[in-house]
Amino acid sequence: MAPPDGLTVVAPSPQPLLRVEDLSVAYGRQTVVAGVGFALPRAGSLALIGESGSGKSTIARAVLRLLPRTGRATGRVAIDGREVLGLPERRFRPLRGRAIGFVPQDPGNALNPVRSIGVQAEEAAALLDEPDRVRRTALILETFAAVGLDDPRRVYDAYPHQLSGGMLQRVLIGLAILPRPALLVADEPTSALDVTVQKRILDLLSRLREERGIGLLLITHDLAIAAERADTLVVLKDGTVQEAGRTGTVFASPASAYARKLHADVPSLNPDRYATLREAGFRRRAAGAGPKIAVSAVTKTYRADGRVATQVTKAVDGVSFSVPAGTTHALVGESGSGKTTTIRLLLGLETPDAGSIRVAGQEVTGRSHEALRSVRRQLQLVYQNPFTSLDPTWSVEALVREPLDRFAVGTRLERAERVRAVLADVGLGPHLLARRPDALSGGQRQRVAIARALALKPDVIVLDEPTSALDVSVQADIVEVLLSLQAELGLTYVFVSHDLALVRQLAHTVSVMHRGCVVEEGAVADVFDHPRHAYTAALLDAVPRGIAGRARGPDRRLRTEAA
Amino acid sequence: MRHPYLVYAGRRLAQAVVVILLTYVFTFVVVSILPGDPVTNVLRDPQNGFSEEQIQAIVAAQGLDQPLLVQLWTALTHFLSGDFGLSMRSSRPVATLIAEVLPSTLALASAGLAVALGLAFAIAYGTQFLPGRLGSGLRALPSLFLSVPNFVIGLVLIHAFGFQLGLFRVIEPESAWATAFAAIALGIPISAQIAEVLIANLDHEARQDYAAVARSRGLSPARLFARHLLKPSSLPVVTVIALTVGELLGGSLVTEAVFGRNGVGSLVQRSAAAQDLPVLQAVVALAALIFVLVNLAADLVYPLLDPRITLAGPAARRPGKADEAPHDAPLRTVTG
Repeated sequence: MAPPDGLTVVAPSPQPLLRVEDLSVAYGRQTVVAGVGFALPRAGSLALIGESGSGKSTIARAVLRLLPRTGRATGRVAIDGREVLGLPERRFRPLRGRAIGFVPQDPGNALNPVRSIGVQAEEAAALLDEPDRVRRTALILETFAAVGLDDPRRVYDAYPHQLSGGMLQRVLIGLAILPRPALLVADEPTSALDVTVQKRILDLLSRLREERGIGLLLITHDLAIAAERADTLVVLKDGTVQEAGRTGTVFASPASAYARKLHADVPSLNPDRYATLREAGFRRRAAGAGPKIAVSAVTKTYRADGRVATQVTKAVDGVSFSVPAGTTHALVGESGSGKTTTIRLLLGLETPDAGSIRVAGQEVTGRSHEALRSVRRQLQLVYQNPFTSLDPTWSVEALVREPLDRFAVGTRLERAERVRAVLADVGLGPHLLARRPDALSGGQRQRVAIARALALKPDVIVLDEPTSALDVSVQADIVEVLLSLQAELGLTYVFVSHDLALVRQLAHTVSVMHRGCVVEEGAVADVFDHPRHAYTAALLDAVPRGIAGRARGPDRRLRTEAA
Repeated sequence: MRHPYLVYAGRRLAQAVVVILLTYVFTFVVVSILPGDPVTNVLRDPQNGFSEEQIQAIVAAQGLDQPLLVQLWTALTHFLSGDFGLSMRSSRPVATLIAEVLPSTLALASAGLAVALGLAFAIAYGTQFLPGRLGSGLRALPSLFLSVPNFVIGLVLIHAFGFQLGLFRVIEPESAWATAFAAIALGIPISAQIAEVLIANLDHEARQDYAAVARSRGLSPARLFARHLLKPSSLPVVTVIALTVGELLGGSLVTEAVFGRNGVGSLVQRSAAAQDLPVLQAVVALAALIFVLVNLAADLVYPLLDPRITLAGPAARRPGKADEAPHDAPLRTVTG
């Protein structure tokens, strides 16, 4: 589908802040972006949406002229009517920072780890026409305060590793807006952050746009975020524009099949998508299925021995929950809420200081290493990031067969048979057996990880944010695989996530964790529809909800527009 | 409260002292269990013409008839007070012998290291900023440097600059010019190792997100290199330097021979030929001392280069990111 249609709608003035026309980017012979065009008006907002490989980040990098050396961009990119794609680097450099600011994807890697924040902030401040050093530093501290950093001086003196992800992203936004650019390019600015932090960062970007008239080019894979935060949407797939236009139009009545699929894959917009697959679990729970997992009053404390005082961190504090066989229990909370420690205790990777954990009636705590082995067979883990959890030097077959070899299950032939069977269960064909993880997509890798967990026919699978490293559309595929397996095999899942919309889609029961404690628990529908604890309400409020979310944004202009 | 860096430095220093003492004990033990008794070999050599009484007197005077543990204790206490005994070949104090030749070797080794560092950083800078073929050609240089032994480089330099161009007098090997060329011969192969690590790290750092973000703030390539890439890339270089000290010392012995310099190398050569144990033992202890000191210096430099290195040791590391989220302050409402 051609873009011009959307273009005429979004270009109110003859000279938009950013105009991209017929932009193509190629690496060698491979074209990754082809003939893309859009326009962003002054102080407007536009979102580029698509999954990994759709070319959305490449477009952002082409506009910022930060493509790797092998990348070639052709076409036209005009900022304030001035063509910049053809400019020599030396003449483009004055525009960097001053005309275009950049907010990167992963705040944890976007600042030099061995330089203090202050040193890096001074670089941004040097772009201001302010000869006085003291004055420049004062401006930095002012900006830090404006982006919601409580103690600007401490931040200025800190090194990146001393700050949290949310704080770092605020620092980066601060550095980007400090030289007062007219355009801010934000490349997935919140995908590495927790939901509540995500909401605050997005609110901050919306507010800056309104207060300072900064145009925002937002790159995201999440249609809900894009629709909530941008006036115009450009939907990309395989480097071409599928659909473009005003947010209300694209969101409410998507014309292209791809945009419709994107819409269907966003968990918050489709809470009942897997209702039929979840039905069996609800029936088992209603029938009073016995608890497969019973965690009661578990506590784990970490000590950091300092010379002066011993710091005690209660990572998990009196946590209890039980999971009926054949259902999914979700643990939700932000980073540091103790959910990861809880599952480490459940898996027997750590020993609790107090409390008991029973899996299928057997006590997990206080067991010897040998005795744990038999429990482990019943209890498998699917790890968060399939890009790091699979040994890159192993073939798919070896990866899936390893647990079978470890427990010496059956004959060689039977094990090979089993590998094929579980791969088929997760929807992977035998042609992938000899592949290595590098030759697989993120979704395929996570399927391999699930197959590996299934190989020993466990009763319980612990899913540690199994889709947080994946795109929304791939996430939907993985969730479908997991729920089908549960319906078929009667598996019990413990699902750890900070994404409440996803939990709502697939879990039966939920425990909300905050600072090591369970603050609220119950059936998913009860907890989510009638949250009793303020923290649960805050988490729910942070879930991006697409166009419906615009009414609650801090931006009054948008509110009237959405009404 | 004591500064954590001083606590760290103190602990490292104590460890270094222990390592040096252990090295001394180790060489002492190895020498005494080696077959053949060089002492008796030298003393009983008919050419020296010692009578049996004289031999006994010397053995008693040197304490060689004492039990091994007592000998070790005596040697260790003398070693600690800077007394390395007498050379068996020349009967002069070992300390004096070493003091005579050490400055020459130290001058050569430090000049060699300076050459190596200068060359390595120049090559690395070139690979990042010289365009096209020149830059990629520079990348081949370290492997070329590594494959040529330093004595070959030395001979070529002597021939070209000494004999042909007459830039230095070959018969005055301790002159400044001769030292400079010896340092070049010594530094080139070592520069290759440093340059390879440095180039690989610069490439790695240049690909990091923070480099792109810094460029988006309008930093020029030169400033990006100086302010951002150099420091993190230098960390592994410190490790490499610490490891090449051995090579630097060994290389200076070879280079000394090639250039005809009178340094520790020639002393070792003469003493080894004469089985002059006190001298050899002192040289081994000295080498260990230098090695330990350089590694100590490297350990002390790391925390200054990388703020992420925790000084207090593994026990104080925080479990996971347990306390990460609470730091994030709620959004402040800005009015006006």
